[in-house]
Amino acid sequence: MKKYVAFLLAGVLGLSSLAGCGQAQETNTADANQAGTASSAAVTAAAETTASTATSEPAAEPVDIKIWHDGDESIMQTIADRVNTELADDQITVTFEKKTDMPNQLKLYGNDPDNGPDMYFYAHDVLGTFVAMDILSPLSDVTDVDSVLADALPLTVKAGQIDQTQYLLPVYFETLVFIYNKDLWEGEIPSTTEDLYAYMTEHTDEAAGTYAVVNQHTNAYNVSPFINGFGGYILDENGKPGLNDPKTIEAAEYNKKFGQLQADGDYNTVTTLFNEGKAAAIIGGPWLISGIEEAGINYGIVSLADIKLPNGNGMAPFSGIQGAGVLKTALADKKDAIAKVLTAMASPEVGIDLAVKSGCAPANSKSYDDEQVSANEMISAIQKTAETAQPMPNIPEMNVMWTPAESMFVAINKNGEDATQAANEAQQAAEQAIADMK
Amino acid sequence: MGKAKKITPWLYLLPALLLIAIVIVFPIVYTGYISLTNMSLYNWDDFKIIGLDNYARALFKFDSGFLSALLTTILWTVINMVIQLGVGFFIALGLNAEGLKLKRVYKTLLMVPWAMPAYISILLWRVGMFNPEFGVLNKILTQLGFAKVDFLANNVIAFCSCLVLNLWMALPFMITTIDGALQSVDHDMYEAATLDGAGFWTRVRYITIPGIRQIIAPAAVMTTFITFKQFDIVYLLTQQRGYMTGATLNTVITYAHQNAFVSNNYGLSSAVSMLLFVIIILFSFLTNRSLEEV
Repeated sequence: MKKYVAFLLAGVLGLSSLAGCGQAQETNTADANQAGTASSAAVTAAAETTASTATSEPAAEPVDIKIWHDGDESIMQTIADRVNTELADDQITVTFEKKTDMPNQLKLYGNDPDNGPDMYFYAHDVLGTFVAMDILSPLSDVTDVDSVLADALPLTVKAGQIDQTQYLLPVYFETLVFIYNKDLWEGEIPSTTEDLYAYMTEHTDEAAGTYAVVNQHTNAYNVSPFINGFGGYILDENGKPGLNDPKTIEAAEYNKKFGQLQADGDYNTVTTLFNEGKAAAIIGGPWLISGIEEAGINYGIVSLADIKLPNGNGMAPFSGIQGAGVLKTALADKKDAIAKVLTAMASPEVGIDLAVKSGCAPANSKSYDDEQVSANEMISAIQKTAETAQPMPNIPEMNVMWTPAESMFVAINKNGEDATQAANEAQQAAEQAIADMK
Repeated sequence: MGKAKKITPWLYLLPALLLIAIVIVFPIVYTGYISLTNMSLYNWDDFKIIGLDNYARALFKFDSGFLSALLTTILWTVINMVIQLGVGFFIALGLNAEGLKLKRVYKTLLMVPWAMPAYISILLWRVGMFNPEFGVLNKILTQLGFAKVDFLANNVIAFCSCLVLNLWMALPFMITTIDGALQSVDHDMYEAATLDGAGFWTRVRYITIPGIRQIIAPAAVMTTFITFKQFDIVYLLTQQRGYMTGATLNTVITYAHQNAFVSNNYGLSSAVSMLLFVIIILFSFLTNRSLEEV
């Protein structure tokens, strides 16, 4: 008897260990069978209806478009609410699903029609990676791109292209701005970086833990206002790193003196310093606003383009364009529905909703005609900065550039290494990382 | 022995063997397979076998930087193990001291660092303890009139900070193991030794250590192994993107991660993984041999 029980338990353990390995297709088949049954029933019912009322039109099938994202859920909800309202008559519904570390999730599921999404919503800098993986459909395969993007700001349209092909529908964009605490800042915001530095020297007391301006001074994205403003670059459009470009080195050296007055420079430290009133200003983006408002800070916003570098150029940060891409696997069944979703997402109304509810700067130029949008301080500052801002490179090589670039700024700002030497080492590491990709 | 009797044990073992094959053997074999292909961002679905090319490239990753990382890892492992065994032993002895009140409370409190997820503990220490602006350590230093210290700024101080955190996280396991082992030592032997005039150190040397050695040896070997392939503490405290501190400290695993795993070249990364796998297997042979000698 014991033997039988032992065999039985061993068998159950063996089966249960393999239970999770079942094909999703089986479920789908079951679903399909159910769907088949349901559709047979529908056909029968429809036939009966047709027989009784020969003139009635068959109703459109409801379609659900699954969109993965890794952003602010309230922003996605704003988009979903507007798009779903506009497409209610077509019985098309978009559902946003938040996926932590979405780009890596898409690497796993980008080719999987059963478990992957139909579309994704993310910043444009990972676009090249997905295109290289050949999981994205050009938007021209789905809809008339020229018509859909007719009103989009050129900066945002270009950011969604790889080799002149549009893969990303731009919805809103963001960049760095100068946010200051009106209760702490004394006088006007300086119009030059030299005046800003003088103000920082006078109003920073590191021992007491109070700062004039804080910035993530070793993060390449946050150093970009200097790099681009000086005419340097992190990565050019041909995938060549520019960390040891003389202009980049000049910018890194210039950024160093600011960094020495900007605390440790990691995200948590600088945002907490500003939100606790220990820093009078911060260089950051719209993603900081909810925290700043929760902290009850009386804040003002200035465009970085209005603060001039010693060469006379305005500070020129990177801009990030947030938008939607279409997975190839979704086209077989949902092409028409996706085309309608893209058109709805590109509408000025979505831009207005995003601007009013979430402070996002719309990609659609017509959204700015709305009074509420044009009166928004953050959006005006971002729009102004768009004059000098440069879209982050979107080629796949950009993925491996962040670490060498940050290592370079850390070496210069925190370890006191010679800028040229640190830049040469970082350039070598970046070239090796790019070579390793192939 | 009949044929049926020979098969029966294997049938009993089959479910467990299946699990091991799926969870442990398959990923290793698959990594080995990928290491022979050109699977990368540019050959996502259409990758093909390219032989040992990736291994030739991976060997270049084992340069002077790797050797320095290997030395750091050995130093890290040795110092950690010496302190963990030494401190763990004496804390466990203290917890077993006669007349100590609230033993259970102390033992439960000691479990807290072990019970917390490593990721949370590390981030808490980075922000709550080591942060130059808000960390407790700097608050105390400034209250005492000292200047602020960046505990992760350079290799030496970052190594010490990582060490302290690792000890905080790992000591509970060692203390619990040694505490359990101490329960198995016959107390009559201590009484007899005391009557013979043996002091504390003599009793520890001739009764306690020989009595617990065989029990704590597997735990020590396991901990050595875990410490050798440490990644999370060094990476999250000093290297995470957006939070680089200025230290360039590397263990073999963080070095391999920095040099191969960020490239999206899965063939090359797999080849580096397989080479690391060989190094760790060799290391485990050495530690297992030392276990047999105990």
